[in-house]
Amino acid sequence: MASAPSLSTAQPPTAVSLRNRCTLPPLPSHRIRPSSSSSSLSSRLPTLRSVPIVSRCAVRAALSTVDRSATPVESGDKKLLLEVKDLTAVVAETGQEILKSVNLAIYEGEVHAVMGKNGSGKSTFAKVLVGHPDYEVTGGSMMYRGENLLDMEPEERSLAGLFMSFQSPVEIPGVSNADFLNMAYNARRRKLNQPELSPIEFWAYVYPKLDLLNMKADFLNRNVNEGFSGGERKRNEILQLAVLGAELSILDEIDSGLDVDALRDVAKAVNGFLTPKNSVLMITHYLRLLEFIEPSYIHVMENGKIVKTGDISIAKTLEKEGFKAISEM
Amino acid sequence: MAALAFPRHIHTAPKPSFFNNKPKTKLRTRISVQSSLTPPQLGFSDPFVLELAEALEDSLPSPSSSKLSPLEKIRDVSSETLLSTPWPSRKDEPFRFTDTSFIKNSKICPVSRPPPQSLEAPLASPEDTQLLHLAIVDGHIVDSSSNMSGLPDGVYVGSLSNATSESLVKRVGEFVCGFDWGDLFWSINGVGAPDLAVVYVPAGCRVENAVHLRYYSVEASDVGSNKLPVSNPRVFVVVEKGGEVDIVEEFMGGDPNRCYWANPVLEVVVGEGGKVRHSYVQNQSPCAAHIKWTSVRQDAESSYQLVEVSSGGKLSRHNLHVQQLGPDTVTELSTLHLAFNEQTQDLHSRLVLDYPRGSSRQLHKCIVANSQGQAVFDGNVKVNRYAQQTDAGQLTRSLLLEPRATVNVKPNLQIIADDVKCSHGAAISDLEESQLFYFQARGIDLKTARKALVFSFGAEVVSQLPDASVQKKVENQIRELLDPQ
Ligand SMILES: Nc1ncnc2c1ncn2[C@@H]1O[C@H](COP(=O)(O)OP(=O)(O)O)[C@@H](O)[C@H]1O
Ligand SMILES: [Mg+2]
Repeated sequence: MASAPSLSTAQPPTAVSLRNRCTLPPLPSHRIRPSSSSSSLSSRLPTLRSVPIVSRCAVRAALSTVDRSATPVESGDKKLLLEVKDLTAVVAETGQEILKSVNLAIYEGEVHAVMGKNGSGKSTFAKVLVGHPDYEVTGGSMMYRGENLLDMEPEERSLAGLFMSFQSPVEIPGVSNADFLNMAYNARRRKLNQPELSPIEFWAYVYPKLDLLNMKADFLNRNVNEGFSGGERKRNEILQLAVLGAELSILDEIDSGLDVDALRDVAKAVNGFLTPKNSVLMITHYLRLLEFIEPSYIHVMENGKIVKTGDISIAKTLEKEGFKAISEM
Repeated sequence: MAALAFPRHIHTAPKPSFFNNKPKTKLRTRISVQSSLTPPQLGFSDPFVLELAEALEDSLPSPSSSKLSPLEKIRDVSSETLLSTPWPSRKDEPFRFTDTSFIKNSKICPVSRPPPQSLEAPLASPEDTQLLHLAIVDGHIVDSSSNMSGLPDGVYVGSLSNATSESLVKRVGEFVCGFDWGDLFWSINGVGAPDLAVVYVPAGCRVENAVHLRYYSVEASDVGSNKLPVSNPRVFVVVEKGGEVDIVEEFMGGDPNRCYWANPVLEVVVGEGGKVRHSYVQNQSPCAAHIKWTSVRQDAESSYQLVEVSSGGKLSRHNLHVQQLGPDTVTELSTLHLAFNEQTQDLHSRLVLDYPRGSSRQLHKCIVANSQGQAVFDGNVKVNRYAQQTDAGQLTRSLLLEPRATVNVKPNLQIIADDVKCSHGAAISDLEESQLFYFQARGIDLKTARKALVFSFGAEVVSQLPDASVQKKVENQIRELLDPQ
């Protein structure tokens, strides 16, 4: 059959210079209020801290009693890494509100998990933290080490130590994984006033990291995420984390689409980064990841809000009764 | 032999209106996609063309021998057609988006004196001179600047006038006037070509190393002088049955303030089962006019592959015509046009399939990164009545990086045969925001990310250049465009 040609694949043009990326106005300062004023979560958090259930960190009990609102940045010898208050955000294009007041505080060395039904806003929260242009912050604050994230471009947030692994990373045809990683790593070295690595020097640096994730060397020659299976994409995200390092890793559904072996590799790599200084915020839909990476806190997100925060026992309830039971607790 | 009947059923895409189904984006970039047929040209004598034809004839020595050489045959046929062809205007469909008035309004002067046989300026880097290469300067073949050592027996690369083999001259003579799809510029070349370079590959012969054709325009005027020296290089490639060769054409500009007009023609005849891989790199001066013709005839089971990267010239146009002479041919065309300056980059391609089981793949990409820059693409693929079981694909992708950057694309498949597999698509876009963000999220700033993505857009074509050194050179050229010093 002769197929009639069509131009249906033609797409509208977009002019670059029209794009207005990441120019969110600084939020009025009166928005930043002590965390206890608004949500039940933040007022509950200090209490939670005094009852450490998962004691990955022996010092936790000692620090948890410090009044956070009095010293918002320092907490004993533990530093506050990320503090999100009353954060609201909309889809930039449509104005649809997705995040409806999110509150969260993460200290150095902590592992947090955000759970919740599909569509509850978990990925949006992660993307807003790293400055995704699809969303616009309409209220609240996000402070990272005392700095306002809203004043920082996405690349500055990354260089400051924030790393998000994408739930669905994009393909970048024509750019090899090796070149991409090398570029990203050199951006870090520039920031640290260190000499950049040539492709050969970089190869020597990255090679051992592949082993860590049970990845073959030819992975580096392939184009970024192009034709990657779901599992390969996840491994690739973690490879990037391994290469670039991070103080706060936000892992969005790093477990979905992975078989048990792959999950073990990924979890092993993530656990490898955990130091008393590095923190992890993992977003998951499933409980099984929690068997591999133990969280100190579990937050349950529903309809753009964190409706509950607790310890690993929340997970047990979830397993038995689902998210509904949690939000009604 | 299949009749070249005028198509009665032409499947062309409906003429879409300006795409603006994305309301958010203001349409500052001008785009038009349309499909209409070329009206037949009316013939009359254009005084301007007449004058040009005379000037061209005067610039050449009168024929020496009484016997008509292939070059003289070309001249005769060309002057005939030239006199009935007017200078194209924007009203003529093939030049609707390509304004040639820049040439017409200049004082065109045919290059008359042959270039010195020893060129002082190093035309190429030392490692380049090791390659098999033919230097073509202002249309003349310069032997002293060429290196043709180590060619297999029976292979000839050089001026036809120096060829000693009678049979070779006769063989070329059989083909030279077998193409009648040309336009004014084709005829201008035919009248003004001072020399005919020939690449001849005998039956069954595989030429191991690529043959590089290096074109230079030595005679040039200064920017602002309004003088435009024109040269007409002409090359004929004959690959006999089962022969194989790689041809690399490089057009080099040198000093960016030099104005000239290069009007080259390359003809290729690929015999049965023959294989030609053709690379074409156009890096002319940003003040130059460059109008090129490539005409390819493919016999049964032959294959022709073109990889083009054009970035130079103020006005650059490539007229590409590929004609099937038998069944089971393979044709692959990959072209990349870059308009980073105030310039026009135009590809007019036509692929005519008249025999069964041909396979063709065409990919045309262009990047317009200047608000005064323009890319034009008219890509016609004709699948005629006897071309059953043809597999034809055509894809064009354009990247517009500045407001008011313009692209005019007219991809069109005309299908008359009914048992064929054809696909095509056209996409015009800016860089993907999600991809840019991915770079940023890994600490790479927007400017660097954009450069990497623009580079990778072109890489799909550039990576197909068979010669690694040519590929590297082109990559460096593109890097320079992205990062002007
Ligand atoms: N860019 C977007 N455009 C339109 N709607 C969006 C966009 N991003 C998220 N949403 C909507 O916001 C809600 C939350 O999405 P998401 O954050 O991906 O949820 P989760 O990760 O918890 O499954 C969903 O209803 C989704 O359709
Ligand atoms: Mg999600």
